Amino acid sequence: MTQSEMALTMGHGATDEESHEQSPFGIQSSKLVMWLFIIADSATFGAILFGYGYLRAGSPNWSRPFAFVPTILNGMVMTAILLTSSLTMLFAVAAAQAGRREAGVRWLGFTALLGTAFAVLHLREWFNMFAEGWSTATNPLGGSALFGSTFFSITGLHLLHVTAGVVALTVIAIGFRRGRFDAAHVETTGLYWHFVDIVWMFVFPLVYLMNARGGIS
Amino acid sequence: MAAMESTTGSETRLYVGIWIGLLAIVGVEVALTYAGLRAGVLLMALLTLAVVEAGIGVMFFMHLKYERRTLFWSLIPGLIFVLLLMNHLWRDAARMVSLRP
Repeated sequence: MTQSEMALTMGHGATDEESHEQSPFGIQSSKLVMWLFIIADSATFGAILFGYGYLRAGSPNWSRPFAFVPTILNGMVMTAILLTSSLTMLFAVAAAQAGRREAGVRWLGFTALLGTAFAVLHLREWFNMFAEGWSTATNPLGGSALFGSTFFSITGLHLLHVTAGVVALTVIAIGFRRGRFDAAHVETTGLYWHFVDIVWMFVFPLVYLMNARGGIS
Repeated sequence: MAAMESTTGSETRLYVGIWIGLLAIVGVEVALTYAGLRAGVLLMALLTLAVVEAGIGVMFFMHLKYERRTLFWSLIPGLIFVLLLMNHLWRDAARMVSLRP
């Protein structure tokens, strides 16, 4: 009986040698899982953005309510904050990989703070819109109510990702400081954070700029 | 800037350069928005710039450029294929408009 046949007879799915087979991608399984999650989540955001495009193209009375001040300017600041947080995340990963634990924790903290600032600006914008009469079912300008539905759905899903990212960064920073997590955990969290940033690179132009008042001839 | 010292000087310059480049692209997007373009032209311009930004982010910030090529070829073409399939809905969106009184 071969070794693998013996293992199967004993109830094991694979021999030790087989279970330690090298990844064809040359990365840790946790990192691969994060990549797979990111691809699946990209399809989710793609679907919701295509849905927004479909509803917009099919609505003859679509509203374009966003003035440069405050909304587009606020969106630019939020974009700059998120891009900067990606840079600080890169520094966090580099510090962690170099074994500079304190610096890694500090850069993770900066990244989480920038993420929090993004969320605060976003929520402030939402509450201003609520005060003007916008909701998922109402449009104070009299146009299609689908504007609110799509706007709050898309930005809400993204904000949920940012919030989850801030929580993850905080947990990883605390665990990394205490030695419970290593540089690989920081790097995997970084992948997620950069992904959240990249999604915003589509949300800002499609949902904000394409709805700027006076933007389209 | 202790963490910056732990990256090599050229890496730090690369990352900061990319960060500035991405900020500049956002500036271009806003400028194009107020350039008085037709909706279709503006949409294509903004989408193109967003794809460029995403490509740079994935390859450099997410380090896909430095991973084995099998990872890239296992993940990215499938995603692009799925996103392209979603384009089937546009004709129906046009039909919705024509159904209106």
